[in-house]
Amino acid sequence: MLQAFFRVFLITLAFVAGSAIAAPRVGESAPDFTGVDTQSKTHRLADYRGKTVVLEWTNHDCPYVRKHYGAGNMQEQQREAAAQGAIWLSVISSAPGQQGYVSPGEADELTRSRKAAPHAVLLDPEGRIGRAFGAKTTPHLYIIDEAGKLVYMGGIDSITTADPADISKATQYVRVALRERAAGQPVTTPVTRPYGCSVKY
Amino acid sequence: MKTKPGLFAIIFWLVWLLALAAPPAHGAATVSTPHATVTLLSEQPQATPGQTLWLGLRFKLIPHWHVYWRNPGASGAAPVIRWTLPEGWTAGDLHWPVPQRIPVGPLTNYGYEEAVTLLVPVRIPEGPLPAGPLTLTADAEWLVCRVECIPESGRLTLELPHPGSPTVGDPATQRLFAAARAQWPEADRVTGRYRLAGDAQTITLEAPGLAVDDRDEVWFAAYEWGPVDPSGAQSRQTTAEGLVLRVPAGDLPPAGDVPLDGLVVVETRDGGAPARRGYAVRLEARPAATGTSETLGLMTALGFAFLGGLILNVMPCVLPVLGIKVLGFVREAGANHRRRVGHGLSYGAGILLSFLALAAALLLLRAGGASLGWGFQLQSPVLVALLAYLMLLVGLNLSGVFAVGAGLMGAGQALTAGSGLFNTFATGVLAAVVASPCTAPFMGTALGFAITRPAGAALAVFLALGVGFALPVVLLSLWPAQVRWLPKPGPWMKTFQQALAFPLYATAAWLLWVLSQQTDARAYGAALAGLVAVALAAWLYGQWQPRGWRLGLLGAALTVVLLLLLRPVAGSDVAVPARADPERLTWSEARVRELTAAGRPVFVNFTAAWCITCQVNERVALATENTRRLFADRAVAYLVADWTRRDPAITRQLERHGRSGVPLYLWYAPGSETPVVLPPLLTEGIVAEALQSL
Repeated sequence: MLQAFFRVFLITLAFVAGSAIAAPRVGESAPDFTGVDTQSKTHRLADYRGKTVVLEWTNHDCPYVRKHYGAGNMQEQQREAAAQGAIWLSVISSAPGQQGYVSPGEADELTRSRKAAPHAVLLDPEGRIGRAFGAKTTPHLYIIDEAGKLVYMGGIDSITTADPADISKATQYVRVALRERAAGQPVTTPVTRPYGCSVKY
Repeated sequence: MKTKPGLFAIIFWLVWLLALAAPPAHGAATVSTPHATVTLLSEQPQATPGQTLWLGLRFKLIPHWHVYWRNPGASGAAPVIRWTLPEGWTAGDLHWPVPQRIPVGPLTNYGYEEAVTLLVPVRIPEGPLPAGPLTLTADAEWLVCRVECIPESGRLTLELPHPGSPTVGDPATQRLFAAARAQWPEADRVTGRYRLAGDAQTITLEAPGLAVDDRDEVWFAAYEWGPVDPSGAQSRQTTAEGLVLRVPAGDLPPAGDVPLDGLVVVETRDGGAPARRGYAVRLEARPAATGTSETLGLMTALGFAFLGGLILNVMPCVLPVLGIKVLGFVREAGANHRRRVGHGLSYGAGILLSFLALAAALLLLRAGGASLGWGFQLQSPVLVALLAYLMLLVGLNLSGVFAVGAGLMGAGQALTAGSGLFNTFATGVLAAVVASPCTAPFMGTALGFAITRPAGAALAVFLALGVGFALPVVLLSLWPAQVRWLPKPGPWMKTFQQALAFPLYATAAWLLWVLSQQTDARAYGAALAGLVAVALAAWLYGQWQPRGWRLGLLGAALTVVLLLLLRPVAGSDVAVPARADPERLTWSEARVRELTAAGRPVFVNFTAAWCITCQVNERVALATENTRRLFADRAVAYLVADWTRRDPAITRQLERHGRSGVPLYLWYAPGSETPVVLPPLLTEGIVAEALQSL
């Protein structure tokens, strides 16, 4: 009896622990978060009601991130999103000492040198935003609509290699989804496989 | 002496020649990177037309780094290989060893540390080999990670000698291939099903065939990204049915009607490094999809159930009860009409409530995840033994060994003795209970349909069965004029009653025969001894008519004796003896798949020792000279799925075809993976006609 009780307790515990990284579901409200950017400015998801928000998990040393920044694909999509009025937030969830962890100055330098165009770069060294969204890879992308609902989560595109030559052959899921949203249509492919390096929590 | 140097020279020359002529016995090409040494190997030393050549890609990694499984898990990427092979040669799918879980912070990946060998079968077509060198090239891309990841790639080229070249097999290579195969998951041993929770957050997996030790660690990994979250905690339960795993759903939960493919991995930790076994499983979505053309409509099922209930009345196990009822009506021919109707109705109510209770119990057990079909009451040896004892008791009562107060036998007596409605109600319950072993053999189709339906429909079908069963007696109670043709009450009634004991003894004998198929000799002997104990108790009761504590003592003594005797029955588990008969193979899903894949026509007979319809079909349609010849002529593989004891794999297969009971006959035409379902009543003609579709 006691043993059975203990087992139930352990199972419950395992589920609670497991849920720490549980992903949100498309169609449901995205978890609200507060994050600080490289300029020490605070961003709250709720502040962007009425606008489309794109979250991009990144780690500049990850070969898959390099694939898309090296070829200019990520920057191009950041500019397109901005032109459509969307808020693009790059998020760095690498813990101190882990690959991809940067100081605010280094992050700004990366944006400058790579000619990136995010609305802001959020620094999340404790991984709070990452865990709230269940971010697993770099890159891993999420789109949140004007009402705060998650409408897309997954990879940047459809070919899961580290080879920049594949970008032109791939379906750019995020670009397609943003265009569909802008045209007032539902997102045809709302969940795809995120691919890349693990987020270095 | 002179010849010696010459001999040495010749041997030396020969060895030198061989060393020159035979290229490195096994071609092996290697690419080295800072993290991995990747080698392409061929198992066979040379190419042989018409054969399958196995190639291996071996990754040897520096410590703490890993490469990935086919589903890399939360992040990462599986190795990709593009083959360039001689004209006409085709490479099959990669064969992946069972992976390990590799935690990266809160995330989990699937992959391999230290070393792994991925094998691939290459089909070499019949006919002459292309002239010139046989060059095999693998362009491989792989991601190697510790915490950080490095994409690497390499081109590995192997040249195979033509047949007849002097080549020597390399034992080290053979060992490497054998070791790789030993790490493959076991295929086709475990089947199961899954259910997605309403909120799409959890998937419950059942693999009933898999028994695991409590200390083992068990986890499920899907073959593809999406349905399952590799990082979430999995919890498991070991039920009597086998393994039940609760797995967090992934970003793209399974649709709920498609099968889920993956591996169940069992890790045993005995001190040192964990030993890992993997089982490839295809989990069918639950509830099992049913073949629409095969399933009965609800109205038809209700009709069948009603008819079945009527027929039940003349079954050897029920006929005596009915006979006694009729005797009762004869006795009380002149009794008060209203009272008679009351007794008729309370008898009917006893039957209906019993059937409903039985149906409800079955539905509850199934809702709890037990894989039960109709006939379950005959699949438990203990229940079979108890039913045999009950038949014996009622039989002894009819034979006059003992009488129960107003009469166990005495629904009829009860009427004349003027005792309460409760007695007739109890007779109804008794009739339903003694009828239960008889429903399984004959009513499998309708009842099997019923329990796979939603609860409402299921209860309706059982109710229809009860109505059909109760109807004749209730009608007789309403219009007793119908029994006027029977002789006047008299001594003949006692003779008739005693004669009625024999169908019950026959039923008991039949149940014991069923039991003999389910237990070993020791347990069977114990069960037979129980028969004697029951008879002795009945006789003692008849002799002294004990009351109060004496009756309690007798009851307790019998209970203790039966408990002791039935223990070995409950414990014994007879594996169905493998029949030496080559014409009769034991069914398994894997075997069907194997045979159909090989293009063989397959006939599957789902049967059980206690299923009388099945036995009749076997006698008149399957075991006949004509059918056997037909099967032999057409090289039909005849598979038998024996459901005499519980077997969840068979239950699931039955459900897939909208059945929950035997018989079921499936015919797979050559090359077809979807079977034709034959009717439950077979003739030679039906079988022959089905085979014509060849």
